[in-house]
Amino acid sequence: MSRKRAMIADTFCLKKRRRSAADAVTGDSHEGAADIRSSLQKLMTLFSRKLFNDSLPPVVLKHQLYSLHSDKTSVDKQLNELRASGELLMFQLGFDSEAFALVFAEDYRAKVLQGEAGRETLETVEKFLDKLIPGCSDLSFNKEKMLKEFLFTDSEITRLVKSGVLTVRDAGSWWLSIPNSGKFIKYFIKGRKAVLGMVKKSRYGEILKTELEGRRTTSHVKFQMKYHVHDIVGAELVECIQTTSGTLLRYVDGNNN
Amino acid sequence: MLSFLNARQSGLDDPVRLRRAESTRRVLSLELNHNRDVARVHGNGINTLDIEVIDGRYMLSGGSDGVIVIYDLENNSKKLQYSCKTVCTVGRSSRHVHKFSVETVQWYPHDTGMFVSSSFDKTMKVWDTETLKPAEEFQFDGNVYCHHMSPVARKHSLIAVGTKDPKVQLCDLKSGSRIHILQGHRGEILSVRWSPRYEHILATASTDSRVRVWDVRRASGSLFTLDQHNGDKSKASSEAVNTAHNGRANGLCFTADGLHLLTTGTDDRMRLWNSATGENTLVNYGKVVNESRKGLKFTVSRDCSPEFVFVPCGTSVAVYGLHSGELITMLRGHYNNVDCCEFHPDYQELYSGGKDCNILAWVPVLRQPDIEDEETNSKRGGTQAAVNPAFEDAWSSDEG
Repeated sequence: MSRKRAMIADTFCLKKRRRSAADAVTGDSHEGAADIRSSLQKLMTLFSRKLFNDSLPPVVLKHQLYSLHSDKTSVDKQLNELRASGELLMFQLGFDSEAFALVFAEDYRAKVLQGEAGRETLETVEKFLDKLIPGCSDLSFNKEKMLKEFLFTDSEITRLVKSGVLTVRDAGSWWLSIPNSGKFIKYFIKGRKAVLGMVKKSRYGEILKTELEGRRTTSHVKFQMKYHVHDIVGAELVECIQTTSGTLLRYVDGNNN
Repeated sequence: MLSFLNARQSGLDDPVRLRRAESTRRVLSLELNHNRDVARVHGNGINTLDIEVIDGRYMLSGGSDGVIVIYDLENNSKKLQYSCKTVCTVGRSSRHVHKFSVETVQWYPHDTGMFVSSSFDKTMKVWDTETLKPAEEFQFDGNVYCHHMSPVARKHSLIAVGTKDPKVQLCDLKSGSRIHILQGHRGEILSVRWSPRYEHILATASTDSRVRVWDVRRASGSLFTLDQHNGDKSKASSEAVNTAHNGRANGLCFTADGLHLLTTGTDDRMRLWNSATGENTLVNYGKVVNESRKGLKFTVSRDCSPEFVFVPCGTSVAVYGLHSGELITMLRGHYNNVDCCEFHPDYQELYSGGKDCNILAWVPVLRQPDIEDEETNSKRGGTQAAVNPAFEDAWSSDEG
């Protein structure tokens, strides 16, 4: 079996591999980060803006990147670098403890200010965004941090919650959130369930990826098919099998869905 | 391979390098071999396997029917086809057999004269291998999920026992006492492991999603709790702060050098931790399917250059690279769920047991002779059977 031969060859080609890998490593980190950024941008184009009347910035889920890149650990590392540099923001969506949403910082800022224009909460939100975007890469904030580090007052915090930038997590702590994202989450969960149902109902519980992407979407699926396919592949809700006719997606039985 | 041998011969390379490269190659080529199987004795699923440390010759297995079997893994017959025979069994007819399923068995770390088994009949028995009678029996209040004896201990002979009770009990083999308890968990203890590096360090995993590391010499509580977010409180919801997993933590395994600890949980994740600081190394293995209600027994390879983790996942055994997190391969062969697997460090073989009552031996594939060797042999009219020209054709390849 050719796969086995490939695995054996790896160890003994270590020397040769190392020489070429060493040259690649120095250029790799720049390429790697650029790689993730370009994959993120590619995925963001799949996000349907007009569905939300342009009030939401393009949102990508972290596990959608896993369907494009095979090494999850390096994807995580590069994402953390982007977050530390202030280019990317990560949000904890409520429905799954492992589902994180990623938004480019400039997009987020632009949309939030656009949504806030004309409201009285505008300045508080601006102040918060200024504090948040270059420095802070947290997903949630608790009271002491808001009061002492960011020097917000209680009434300002209430205004931030009202504007949708913060969501209540616990008594005295808040998640960072995207305003008007409730609709997004609702459509997303419905769409995910519908697409998974499509895979499950296919013959033998499996379907070619190209065929699934070509299928007509029902009214439950509001996003683009490719967006959902990246999601279910990255979250490992379906098994990805390489065949001679392309990638096959097989429904995995042990799902909670 | 020749370059490694040359380098070792001339002294350019450390002897360890050749060993490591060859071990890695062997682990990467594990497969089911029809020449090797293990005698089928259990009538019900196999819960646990243990290979003795001294010779690597005898293997213990414990089953859901309470039966304990000892196998001889060594091939003393001159034939290639070998079936690992049973040396002796503690069967249902024995007076001292466990009443319910045996959850964990372990050889005494210093010789094969003794082994310890613990079972859902709330007892842990210390057996004398020669007479197959229990020399000592410890009674507990709840089901015993797991126990472990330290493989490197010289100063103590404690057995750590995890039961339904949130308190971890330490039973002393020398005196028979069980007064030492470790308090701190709030749920059933599903897995306990001593560190293979320090004889006083113990790790425990529990249904309260926490994994604690203890120094048994300390009177006060655990040394630290493993936190999956590394202290970054913002990532977790408030209940999940300071937990190792988002579900029950049910599997523990130290790497062979004791520097890293692997944990698995019912949130379908496996995490690698630095065992000295308790830091999550954030290696992402992806979804490691885990539906086990009891402890999950998995193992790590030894002496290989990128180490491998063998985890039972449903009906197959998944092999992951330890530090890279990539899925190398899935070893498929069992007919039902796999419950336990054990790595034989000297021969780089993997034994796995599951609910289908089979113990499968995964053996490294021998090197195929090179094509050049085949040609030279046929020129000399040698031992290789030449293909009859009548059967040769132009379209099939002679590989595989």
